[in-house]
Amino acid sequence: MSGLLIDAAVQPFCRDGREIYDYMDEVNRDRGFPDVESQWYQAPGGDYDESLYGKGYPGSDPEIASRHLFEDDGVDVAILNPRTRGNLPDFQLNTAVCSASNRWLAHRWLDEGNPHGRFRGTIRVNPEDVPGSVAEIERWGDHPLMVQVGVPLQSRDLYGRPRFYPIWAAAAEAGLPICISTNGGAGLEYPPTPTGHARTYSQYIAFMAYNYVYHLLNILTEPLFKEVPGAVFVFSDGGAEQLTPFIWKLDTLWLGVRDQTPWVDRPPSEYLKDHVRLGFSRLDKPPGDSVPIVDWLAQTGKEDVVMYASNYPFWWRNHPDDLYEGTTKEQTEKVRWRNAGEVYRGVTAEAA
Amino acid sequence: MSTIEVSGSDRTRTKEVDVRWVDADVHPLPHPGDGFLGYAPDGWRDRLAPRGHEISGVSARILDQPEANKAPTGKVDSYSPRGGPACSDPQFAAQQLLVETGMDIGILLPMGRDHRNPDYEHALKTTVNNWLADIWLDQHNQHRRWRGSISVTNREPELAAREIERWAGHPMMVQVLMSPQRPAYAFGDPKLDPIYEAAARHRLPVATHLMANLPYENSIKPVGVGGHFSDYISAWGLILASHLMSLVFDGAFDRHPTLKVVFVEGGFLWVLPLMWRMDAIWEARRSELPWVKRRPSEYVRDQVYFTTQPLDDVDTREEIAFTRWLDMAANLIFATDYPHWTYDDPKWALRRLPKELHPRIQHENATELYGLPQTVPALPGA
Amino acid sequence: MQVRQPINKGARRSAREYVVCRQEDLPPGRMVIAPVGKFGVGVYNVHGILYAINNYCPHMGGPLCSGNVYGTNLWDDVRGRAEHVLDGRIARCPWHAWEIDVATGVSVADARKRTRTYDVRVENGEVVLTR
Repeated sequence: MSGLLIDAAVQPFCRDGREIYDYMDEVNRDRGFPDVESQWYQAPGGDYDESLYGKGYPGSDPEIASRHLFEDDGVDVAILNPRTRGNLPDFQLNTAVCSASNRWLAHRWLDEGNPHGRFRGTIRVNPEDVPGSVAEIERWGDHPLMVQVGVPLQSRDLYGRPRFYPIWAAAAEAGLPICISTNGGAGLEYPPTPTGHARTYSQYIAFMAYNYVYHLLNILTEPLFKEVPGAVFVFSDGGAEQLTPFIWKLDTLWLGVRDQTPWVDRPPSEYLKDHVRLGFSRLDKPPGDSVPIVDWLAQTGKEDVVMYASNYPFWWRNHPDDLYEGTTKEQTEKVRWRNAGEVYRGVTAEAA
Repeated sequence: MSTIEVSGSDRTRTKEVDVRWVDADVHPLPHPGDGFLGYAPDGWRDRLAPRGHEISGVSARILDQPEANKAPTGKVDSYSPRGGPACSDPQFAAQQLLVETGMDIGILLPMGRDHRNPDYEHALKTTVNNWLADIWLDQHNQHRRWRGSISVTNREPELAAREIERWAGHPMMVQVLMSPQRPAYAFGDPKLDPIYEAAARHRLPVATHLMANLPYENSIKPVGVGGHFSDYISAWGLILASHLMSLVFDGAFDRHPTLKVVFVEGGFLWVLPLMWRMDAIWEARRSELPWVKRRPSEYVRDQVYFTTQPLDDVDTREEIAFTRWLDMAANLIFATDYPHWTYDDPKWALRRLPKELHPRIQHENATELYGLPQTVPALPGA
Repeated sequence: MQVRQPINKGARRSAREYVVCRQEDLPPGRMVIAPVGKFGVGVYNVHGILYAINNYCPHMGGPLCSGNVYGTNLWDDVRGRAEHVLDGRIARCPWHAWEIDVATGVSVADARKRTRTYDVRVENGEVVLTR
């Protein structure tokens, strides 16, 4: 097989909803907030791969997860991104929850649960609290195993907006990409589709994969990369199959209204390789041999931005072999590790 | 400008030409001389006061198209010497679009006229229908080249169904038109069934099109609203993607197996990956969707149409390759979007569409879907 | 699509040269379309300097010169802000608002897209275009 395998999207859980309280600071330890499992659109029967239900939540035991990922699937490095609570109205409480998540992850998964050294972590921050987020990134930025900053997909404003730039600048300064992913028991959020609340779980889960497009197009349209040239965004939930149709729309419209956004001084699609990564799963690609996969991956440079993402332990969890049939050796390497190695510090050298 | 007369005289048979081009997206607006408010239903005339921008003529959009200050309603060269907004003069529009550009039939989709109050919106849609039928489909349709859309509000489905019944027998009304963007119902919601029942009963397709990005016509998007015209409009297809998912997963195509839906000006390349994802999720979660009896992509291929405009300004070979992968010869319909600035010129568009699909896209799919004639009266100078 | 701008009545001078108009008929800020070539040629006086471009947009072939003339907005990396520049030099196509610099014929957004330029000069009080 083609070299390393980096898994860009694994979600670790607390053993149960109370464990996180052990890591809350004293000021906030007696507060209440929704369990990350308070998922308003939970899949009927549960969100996780049936075979993973055991004593605690699936994905809550580092040893079991290590066996599934590293032994069974041949993953070399797994990037852990815990879900937090989305946007809680009380911003300081939300920041405290993010801090607790970071202490918990560093202790339970990156230290205690990491004898093999293959787990990497995510610094969770609350984008509604800009100074709090910057402080959190400064606190953890030097931790050798923290490789990205994480924010909820379910935002109240698109992430290209200037009010978020201090957070992105702190991440870029620390050499960390910013991962935007769906949170579970999210707090305040708008309906998950532009036509309102979905009537079925199927529509909810199908459409959630596309909400990254709003963030992506906005990020490519605002003055972000002039203000924070080093910013890199990871959309780990995937949705790569819609990248080409929507990036083509943006490139096209930009030709006529470029003067409204003069900071975008090249076709927006040309920013993708340096600034954007997408998790890649079996739901994000053409089924079977319905289209020529080599050409499809090459179109608009998808092959330069997609990264293997197991989505462990969710029901749509992938195994590595799901992704490479028919791709070139070079494309396979890009998906398995090269694209991830370009944005995550230290993941290729240490795993080798 | 002189009236475009149909060639021939009373004594000779009018010369007919074959329909080779159908334009499925043309946007008429009332001319100041039309007396638009005179078409309002009883009791509404005095309530439908024009809004500020309708008097001043300035742009009212919260995300402005290019040159919005000089040309708020259309591409710069589409304003008639008779004044008024772009495409408010049926004779000038016929000259530009039918004679010079060579469209044989134009399907008219009046935009705007959404309103915060549902009953007000219904009154506005009724007014638009009365006006369109008189000015465009009767007074200025000697050439029988214009076809109309029955505008309805999907926020009052029963009223909408009655409005469809009112126009269903009109020979020039060929489809129902409803707004995709007001926070009303996703298109598969059973509350919209009266609209689909009425439309299907009269074999009228139901079309949807962006109504305008006026302040009250927008909803907050799931993670925030685009900051500029380019990112906002580029993401537009996602609204239609969500409506399409709802039509499938909420069972509307099962309840209305003869219903046809037309997504106008919202792109069509995203449909291919959308079908992949819907099929995969349906496979995985079929037991939760007993009312979705067939594979989602089958409903799309059987019951949904997409207009081609705006095609993308990208590598032509790549674009054609993608359209071939889509493999939807029976579902694509040509449109110019006249008079808007995102206009697709027909000759340019053909270069970006697979050659083997040209007859289907240019006219065959549209004439079948809308029941259009195979020939139309010739126009002088065409 | 026909050109709607009134076409200036000039005169052919030789196989290669065409007299567009008298110099005083093309003051700064004005443009005339000379009936040269298949689509006509737009001759612009931008702050006293003459430029000529094909009345044909490199995009869809729209009548480029019959649209409005503006400056444009470019990002200034040194100042770190947008600046309004090239005032009077940017023709926007009336179809899709593409910005073309009349001095170079090149699209502001994408330098790979360009329309043809022509030499134009003043000789004995006449504006002379070389095809």
